[in-house]
Amino acid sequence: MNPVLLGLYKYVDDMIDAAGRLRDSGYEVSILSPIPLGHEIEEALGEPKNHIRYFTFAGAICGFLFGIIFTLGTAAMYVLPRGGRPIFSATPTLLISYETSILIGVFFTLIGFFLMARLPYYKKRVYDPEVNVDSFGLLVDGIREDKYGEVERVLKEHGAKEVKRLEKE
Amino acid sequence: MGSDRTIEQIPYEDVNADVVRTMTETGRLYYIFLFLSMAGVVVLWGLPWAYQIYTGQGVTGLQTPAFWGIYLANFIFWIGISHSGTLLSAILFITQTPWRRSIYRSAEAMTFFSVMTASIFVFVHMGRPWNFYWTVPYPNQRGLWLNFMSPLMFDVFAISTYATSSMIFLYFGSIPDLAAVRDRVKGWRKEVYTILSLGWRGTDAEWHWLTKAYPFFAVFIIPLAVSVHSIVSWDFALSKVPGLSKTIFAPYFVVGAIYSGSAGIVTLMIFLRRGLKIEKYITKTHFDKLGMLLVVMSLIWSYINVVEVFTGWYADTSFETESLRYRMFTPPFSYMYWLMIFTNTVMPLFLIFRKVRRSMAPALIISLGINVGMWIERYLIIATSLPRKFHPYMWNDYIPSLVEVSITLGSFCFFTMMFLMFVKLWPSVSIYEVKEDIGIPFRRKKGHH
Amino acid sequence: MSSIFKRIKDKLADYRRPGYYKEFDYHWAIVVDIDRCNGCEACVVACYAENNIPVVGKKGCDDARIFNWIRIEKYIEGEYPDVRVKFIPIMCQQCDRAPCEIGCPVYATYHNQDGLNVQVYNRCVGTFTCATYCPYDVRRFNWFTYKPDKPLDEQLNPDVTVREMGVMEKCTFCIQRIRYAKDAAKDEERRVRDGEIKPACVQSCPTGALTFGDLKDQNSEVSRLARSRRRYRVFEELNADPSVIYLKRVMGNGKRSHD
Repeated sequence: MNPVLLGLYKYVDDMIDAAGRLRDSGYEVSILSPIPLGHEIEEALGEPKNHIRYFTFAGAICGFLFGIIFTLGTAAMYVLPRGGRPIFSATPTLLISYETSILIGVFFTLIGFFLMARLPYYKKRVYDPEVNVDSFGLLVDGIREDKYGEVERVLKEHGAKEVKRLEKE
Repeated sequence: MGSDRTIEQIPYEDVNADVVRTMTETGRLYYIFLFLSMAGVVVLWGLPWAYQIYTGQGVTGLQTPAFWGIYLANFIFWIGISHSGTLLSAILFITQTPWRRSIYRSAEAMTFFSVMTASIFVFVHMGRPWNFYWTVPYPNQRGLWLNFMSPLMFDVFAISTYATSSMIFLYFGSIPDLAAVRDRVKGWRKEVYTILSLGWRGTDAEWHWLTKAYPFFAVFIIPLAVSVHSIVSWDFALSKVPGLSKTIFAPYFVVGAIYSGSAGIVTLMIFLRRGLKIEKYITKTHFDKLGMLLVVMSLIWSYINVVEVFTGWYADTSFETESLRYRMFTPPFSYMYWLMIFTNTVMPLFLIFRKVRRSMAPALIISLGINVGMWIERYLIIATSLPRKFHPYMWNDYIPSLVEVSITLGSFCFFTMMFLMFVKLWPSVSIYEVKEDIGIPFRRKKGHH
Repeated sequence: MSSIFKRIKDKLADYRRPGYYKEFDYHWAIVVDIDRCNGCEACVVACYAENNIPVVGKKGCDDARIFNWIRIEKYIEGEYPDVRVKFIPIMCQQCDRAPCEIGCPVYATYHNQDGLNVQVYNRCVGTFTCATYCPYDVRRFNWFTYKPDKPLDEQLNPDVTVREMGVMEKCTFCIQRIRYAKDAAKDEERRVRDGEIKPACVQSCPTGALTFGDLKDQNSEVSRLARSRRRYRVFEELNADPSVIYLKRVMGNGKRSHD
């Protein structure tokens, strides 16, 4: 496994320039940061996708249908008249379905997040604790044996505080 | 949004250091409070409740026709407090208010723990609590099922959904912070946080999915919170009892919940910043904005109260008039009622002045007063409408017994104990949101994104 | 194929009908003639004896936890010698649109095919919702497990259970007597005759103020009395549709009714 280069930056715009340049050169670039950098890295790394909404929508629909089938189905299975009200009544059905649609929607969104972000992942991965404090990391992967020096030069040119060479396990 | 930054420029490293310090360093005062609250839970809540289960509900002051009393009042009060976290976390997230960033984690924790405390009272008020699982829909061979038309059944679904969703919301938003804490601690703490943070690294992909999923949770949890408190209010409003069956109950309770939740946040923040020494993260600007929120909620709440009394008086039915008269003009309830009006309508008006909003002592007094007033309001709703139901022959007065009062105090101790434990085991200030509030370091241009 | 659709349509019509029952098997009702009630409370005592109702004692009565399923409400007006006293017996009104039935989350109370509001003691968890929703305040709660002192425990009715603490109870129109009569009638393949069932209160009333019977039967005593011009129902405007019909009192000094 060839090692990866991690460049630690103090300023975000430096790192974004370096990221754009290295990505155009053909390397696999990912950014580690202590805060979400949504808009800034859009230009550098490309337009992101939003798949979570499909999970959420599916969850809400499933939850709503579950609530309706649950309420009306069990009301039909255990027929016990009460209060002069009909067995199939709109108000409690809609209320229970509302709650279950939110519950199942929340679950599906959480599962969607876990699937998309590929968490939880407990095996050792490339990481430096400093990127969760105040440094912004630029992780460059897919470097050929002879190109390390060049990549390191590019990183330092854009103002990296430090460039580390880390082994991917 | 760029100009009213609420936290001054603190280096990112200090944020991590401060938050981890709040979790690892403990003073003696903390242990004293923790011990007192645990003792309170056992002595004030556990023992009287065991006595009540053993002897029967007769040890309470409940009687015909006042079958619901202080237990349900507490239940509604705690569900009301729970709307604080939802308001701050979700509603202020949707509106992209910057000053929510440092306080929303503790507010969400407040939500979760107050829902837990409220669900205690569901069990406490039952006549046969050892059969509580009958209220959960599960397949059985005895042909038993549940009445989905009952407002209490709506309650079961709503509160369990709310508890689950707020717990997921709290955990989900904390994953990066748990990773930050994981990097700095040692020993058993490191193992625990390694498991909890799910191997979070902070890559752009992970942040991307987090920030894409987070708004969905917020959007889900806002109507959920509104519906939960409406459903809880319909426990009362769907009856035919004169003081309880009003259509305004659903908005009344939701507004009251947001109001008491915001006041609860103010109280909690004052203690939190002093206790954890995080004054630079919870600044006077936060209290300024929270104070404005309290004024707005106070005005809405007062309006709804006026509507309730006015429509009751205007309707001129004998039952409604008697219920109102009992609440407003009969001692001792009249003292409680006018005290409530004073603390909830008159005193928060002082928060119109900027100087009052930005100082701690008035904020503490006013927010504590609002909490007391909201508790009185919940208690009055139940304790003055049921004893004056339809038949004058059955009218009675309801006085809570010692067991009920002590369980009420025990619930406050329970909430304090849970919150104290939370403060030491979970990052109570959101690290990454505070960093976003401080600003992203750009070499060429300064300011927020 | 069309028969399946018809079955589904019929079932849907059933489930959408308010109250579910197209008609009751019997529609038990009580007519209370307030003109005849003299407040002797023999019905209260009979109900205690028939239904194993515990005696709570003086402290219990002070705490308003008295257990009588039927109560005589006394309203006293005026000064001596012009006193007017009104006695109104109130028991569970077995409302056809009962607010209590919709409140119970565990279906411990529901409407059976006889038009009665039945309470299932085993199922009750004690949420008090039914008691709060009842406009007539007829529901009673077992605050403690009341044990009758000796030798009163030998007086218990074997047809009726004893309730433990935490269970809600109320007047059942002596459903055990109704069951016996219905079983006897089924054995003989006939319907229950008018006057065959008398709940304990009806049986023990010395003045005949209480009458019990089947409203479906047009010729029964209750139906005849229910057609009287003096009829009213308590809290009619709450739309609970009670099955207990009251007959207004005729005042002796020329007034038409007792209100």
